[in-house]
Amino acid sequence: MPLTDRGRRILERVPGGVLHSTTGVGCEIVRHEELCVGCGKCATNCPSGASRRSETFDVNQLLDAPVGSRRGQLGGALRRLMKHAPDGAVEVPERVTVYRTIAYDDDKCLGCGTCARNCPVEAIDALPPKATS
Amino acid sequence: MTSAADRKIVAFCCRECAYAAADASANARTPLPPTVRLVLLPCTGRVSPLHLLSALAEGADGVMVAGCLLGQCHYREGNFNAVDRVAFVQRLLKSVGVEPERCQMFTMSAGEPPKFVAAVREMDRAVGALPPLERSPRAAAQAMTVPASPAQTVGARGAA
Repeated sequence: MPLTDRGRRILERVPGGVLHSTTGVGCEIVRHEELCVGCGKCATNCPSGASRRSETFDVNQLLDAPVGSRRGQLGGALRRLMKHAPDGAVEVPERVTVYRTIAYDDDKCLGCGTCARNCPVEAIDALPPKATS
Repeated sequence: MTSAADRKIVAFCCRECAYAAADASANARTPLPPTVRLVLLPCTGRVSPLHLLSALAEGADGVMVAGCLLGQCHYREGNFNAVDRVAFVQRLLKSVGVEPERCQMFTMSAGEPPKFVAAVREMDRAVGALPPLERSPRAAAQAMTVPASPAQTVGARGAA
């Protein structure tokens, strides 16, 4: 498989510049935050530390969640009470683990797609690398 | 300002401490504010943000969580979880413009019925001082459009 542009950029960051395989690296990761349930499996399985649980939670994730889901129920209750659109993210106390936004750093991402394979709700798409040369 | 007749406060009480204190206060015939509704839980660690927010959305003007003293939870750490969840709900409420005082956490031991009564009265007073909580009907709330957040525009499924 030819190395993609993204793969080449990643290769420049690898110490020593040697990759033993070019398959499975260089996928475009597309996250669907509104489907995320906050389990954090993408973060715990991420080999490069690109995904991690952040200390904040974007309240819009509750409002955009599918109606039947747990976050959607919470968002439905919040919608009935809200006086104005949420002012951004809120700090999350230490013991609240599920309601956290996953911080995704595209610069650290290897594009391996482990997060997409481990996501229980298919909120992450790993699009196959587009070979340009 | 809401009148005592219209006001509803839901108190989620832990079985080991707060509910026992409520029981003892009732045996001592101490009057509780008529606004409060007690809900028995095995431990305040069972409380989820969904319980608190649903109660508010479905008609309660205030919700309180009453649990054991910190460090005295029957299940070791349940009330620590509750403290953080209540704090989280308060921040959620604040971010959408609802008074965070509508959701509060109190701690007491089983042997402190006066403290339970004081907590309920305090909650009743705090909620009574607030303007009535406005709710949009369920159907209208579902149809309501919310300004798009940056995260939402990136992740619109099916757009790719």
